[in-house]
Amino acid sequence: MTRAGPWVSAAIVTAALVLPGLLIAVTGGSPSAALRALIQGSLGDATAVSQTLLYAAPLLLVAVGACCSARSGVFNIGQEGQVLIGALAGAAAGLRLAVPGPALLLVVLLAAALAAGAWAWLSALMNRLRGVDIAVSTLLMTFLAQQVVAFAVTTPWLLQESRLGEAAALPQSNKLPSGALLGSLGDHPGLQLNLGLAVGVVVAMLVAVALDRTRWGFRLTVAGLNPAAARHAGIPVAAVGGIALAVSGALAGMAGAVLLASPLSTNRLQPDISIDIGWDGLLVALVARNRPLLTIPVAGLFAVLRAGGNFLAATGVPPYLVDVVKALLTLAFVAPAVMRRRSVVA
Amino acid sequence: MNTVAGDLETILSSGIRLAAPLAFAACGEYVAERAGTLNVSVEAMMLGAAFCSIAVAGLTGSATAGLLVGVLLGALVGSAHGALSHRWHVNSFVVGLLLNALVLGLTSYLATVGNPSRHQVELVSVPGLRDLPVLGAPLFVERWPVYLLLALVPLAWWLVERSRWGLELRAAGENPEAAHMTGIRVNLRRRQALLWCGALAGLGGAYLAVGEVGSFNQNMTAGRGYLVIAAVIFGGWRLGRTLAGCAVFGLADALRLALPALGHTVNSQLLISAPYLLALLAMLLFTTRQRRPGALAQPFRRTP
Amino acid sequence: MRLRGITKRYGAVVACDGVDLTLERGEIHGLLGENGAGKSTLMRILLGLETQDSGAIDRDGRAVTIAGPREAAALGISMVHQHFSLVDPLTVWENVALGRSGPVRRAAERAGVRAAAQRYGLAIDPDARVGTLSAGERQRVELLKCLRRDPTVLIMDEPTSVLTRSESAELFTVLRRVVAAEHRAVVLISHKLAEITTATDRVTVMRAGRVVLRRATTATTEAELAREMVGREVTLGAAVGVLPHATAPASPAASAQTALRLRGLTARPGLDDLCLTVHAGEIVGLYGAEGNGQKSLGDVLSGLTVPDAGTVEVAGASVDLRRPGALSAAGLGIVPEDRHHAGVVLDLSVAENLVMTRLGDVSGRVFIDRRRLRRRARALADEYGITAASLDSPLRDLSGGNQQRVVLARELSGRPRVLVAAQPSRGLDVGAVEDLYARLRRCASDGIAVLLISTELEEILALTTRIATIFRGRIVGELPTAQADGERLALLTGGVA
Repeated sequence: MTRAGPWVSAAIVTAALVLPGLLIAVTGGSPSAALRALIQGSLGDATAVSQTLLYAAPLLLVAVGACCSARSGVFNIGQEGQVLIGALAGAAAGLRLAVPGPALLLVVLLAAALAAGAWAWLSALMNRLRGVDIAVSTLLMTFLAQQVVAFAVTTPWLLQESRLGEAAALPQSNKLPSGALLGSLGDHPGLQLNLGLAVGVVVAMLVAVALDRTRWGFRLTVAGLNPAAARHAGIPVAAVGGIALAVSGALAGMAGAVLLASPLSTNRLQPDISIDIGWDGLLVALVARNRPLLTIPVAGLFAVLRAGGNFLAATGVPPYLVDVVKALLTLAFVAPAVMRRRSVVA
Repeated sequence: MNTVAGDLETILSSGIRLAAPLAFAACGEYVAERAGTLNVSVEAMMLGAAFCSIAVAGLTGSATAGLLVGVLLGALVGSAHGALSHRWHVNSFVVGLLLNALVLGLTSYLATVGNPSRHQVELVSVPGLRDLPVLGAPLFVERWPVYLLLALVPLAWWLVERSRWGLELRAAGENPEAAHMTGIRVNLRRRQALLWCGALAGLGGAYLAVGEVGSFNQNMTAGRGYLVIAAVIFGGWRLGRTLAGCAVFGLADALRLALPALGHTVNSQLLISAPYLLALLAMLLFTTRQRRPGALAQPFRRTP
Repeated sequence: MRLRGITKRYGAVVACDGVDLTLERGEIHGLLGENGAGKSTLMRILLGLETQDSGAIDRDGRAVTIAGPREAAALGISMVHQHFSLVDPLTVWENVALGRSGPVRRAAERAGVRAAAQRYGLAIDPDARVGTLSAGERQRVELLKCLRRDPTVLIMDEPTSVLTRSESAELFTVLRRVVAAEHRAVVLISHKLAEITTATDRVTVMRAGRVVLRRATTATTEAELAREMVGREVTLGAAVGVLPHATAPASPAASAQTALRLRGLTARPGLDDLCLTVHAGEIVGLYGAEGNGQKSLGDVLSGLTVPDAGTVEVAGASVDLRRPGALSAAGLGIVPEDRHHAGVVLDLSVAENLVMTRLGDVSGRVFIDRRRLRRRARALADEYGITAASLDSPLRDLSGGNQQRVVLARELSGRPRVLVAAQPSRGLDVGAVEDLYARLRRCASDGIAVLLISTELEEILALTTRIATIFRGRIVGELPTAQADGERLALLTGGVA
């Protein structure tokens, strides 16, 4: 590591905190008011907190998946597309399968995970067959996924909404039946705890246990840290990486289903249903340094920025500065990335 | 007959206009990839340059000044990418995605707050040639920066294939260890290639803003940077085929825009995704005919 | 060029100890010595890749300092690298031009390559892509690349290890021309005695960092050189002292079971129809100069490469080498040559490294039993004397000797029938080496077949019951250790016999 590393990080963190404020001030706004709005909109009251927690769930799922693939030495950057494919499969299952009641929700989540997992695994296959770089193919397939979803929701015999009377059909699907939706947990006045968050947290914990405590996780970690030693130890490195990539895709797909089935969307499949959750989730994993349990607070932080950013827009400050903060903060965390990994035995 | 020629002329014209920004940036990305960097940050270079060119053109009243500043901004993004990935060894894909997010956020904010004005460079038309049937208008009535391509494409080719710099750059992209043993500073060459890539991608972005559109809208490059990467892959890391890829992608886009107006139904999703599909297929099918740099997207660190 | 009193230490190890070396123009100077004798360090100093602790370098009578590779090049010192400095997808002339400076004039470069090729009698097409060339042709390109820099001193490190006999002969003709007609100085580093005696004018023999012989080549013999290179006294005194020949286990009975049989192993690069058998309870030494296929053999036996042809049989059963972990499952443990590459995972804990290959022993169907893992790791650590602050700390924190013990402990914990140890003492201090030797001998007396791949003669002589010599990827000689001596082995591995 270069000695400049820590300094660079410090400089970037400072920039992440100072630059947006400076920009607001220069363009005639009040930085402190913006900060207040950001906090107000994300943590200010029960509604705000509910909104933040809604965002945290899909972010968490994507990030946990990203941890899996990165730990196995496979760099997946196509989560945005995998989220979309998941939402697509979830919508198809939710609208087409006649499964009664809450079981439908389970079917939606599973369909999303399976479809997106298979989609991501295609990249592993291409890598295996022709040595296509996984980062490149997952990225390119994101743009394909966007068009696949756009095609599905503009094609009547696929998922486009049924026409009602005279109105032209919009590029979106029908609304999911209520049995397929993620409801609230418990009954709290004002505060909404969506089931999606529970799914996210449980998955994060399961994956943390799987990575640190199971043979599968151990093999995956060894394959990621030293492929040669892994092969010597009898670990089929490529296959293990492929499975990790599929898991990563499956969790991103599940995030897509959560987006579709939670109040974050209109519960219809739309081309922009992923709202950049895939990209952000990847950043969450980077900041959390691929540790599934750490993704929980980091996803919380990113959700705060998102919910707060939306509120900020309502006060007249364009919310895009939040993206600047996110990018710079992540940069600060990856800049000294050569920091030594701690052993996975705690 | 006349209308068919007319339609063809329209589609060709718009195809060339849509392909030109890609071609500029592709001349840059091609060089960066030959040196071994697969920088996703082309999008950031183009978008940032597009914004700055309009902003500077607004301030100075000169679209040319805008173009120049666009080039500088692209180079700045390139040097940031180079410093982060080839000096501090941060994963190059991560750097690229973060720079894209950063520039998208910044330009979106500034564009919303600042409300940049309209500015556009002059149209030139080549007397005589512009009257040619079908090809005349598309090729010889253009905003002048397009004709920079006539110099820049050969220059990019010459730099990579004929200059010492290019030779060392290719060595750095193919086999960094060997290049290092021979006394070439691998990471320096890669940073320089990124600088060139930034300048040209910046020119492409600035051309899009002050050349074609005349204004800046939020996220106006809309993934063109990724298209450029797809073009280089589709071209099998050869300059000519890369530019052919840009032309095909531009035409596909033009068809998507023009055909419905001409009364044809067209699957726009297929046309939009064509570049990415073609790039993936090229990687799957034509591996032997490609000139994929041996150490593409592999960082180089000296062993102590 | 004169080097005077060059000394270089790495920690406690003295790599070069007051070395004097004079290189005259118009002369081929042979530099001979075993691995670790200090030849490479000396050359690295000359090339500016290392700086000496003391001593001076003169060029044409004037003192010079060589701060880096660029300065070395400016002084006209150039080295023909073995494998690393050519870029396959580039053409021959481009590779040659890469080593030069100034604008690239294609026609001139091409003509230059063609002219140089003709002058030196190196048939080569300037427009051929280097990746399509044979090993011998690549060597010519390397040489041309150096010569086009117009060096005063040309260093060749084991240039013939990848060449056929006629290619080697051709190379020496060229070198002769280079020194005679162009008045350059050539340093030829080699293990191969025949090469040194036929091709050089003067020869310097190094042993353990010192110059032990300096003589005109005509005034010496292969036998003398071999003797001087190996040395009469044993240099690894402490380690070998505790393991005199007398205590070597008696050769196992002829009826002893064949534990490991390698049949016709062929792999590119490096292995050419290699056949070898190791019986239970014996230690067989595979001895040879570096770069004769030992690394490829290690990779095959680690399961890292699948050979192009040939089989590995463990205890009579052929192993499917395409299946990861098949060798380990069949009962073959290996201490690989490059520990950090294939032996250990530096970022995992000591405990995890200890159980890595036998995860099933410390886990259920799904979960790893942390307590069993720790218990087992603790037991292994105690048994093999691994000292670590904590078994949970990353393996990276351990000394080389302790890391090697971890590998050995892990590989032996599976109760293998065969243990392969590739250059196992490399990078270890004397105490650790001593311990390692004791372990290897205990393995043999426990009935494990041990294959020791080594370039260290003392090690081979002290530990083994039988020696096979490897040269260019095949076994060129086999003899009981009792009948072996340094001279005879040096001749065998030098490709003379």
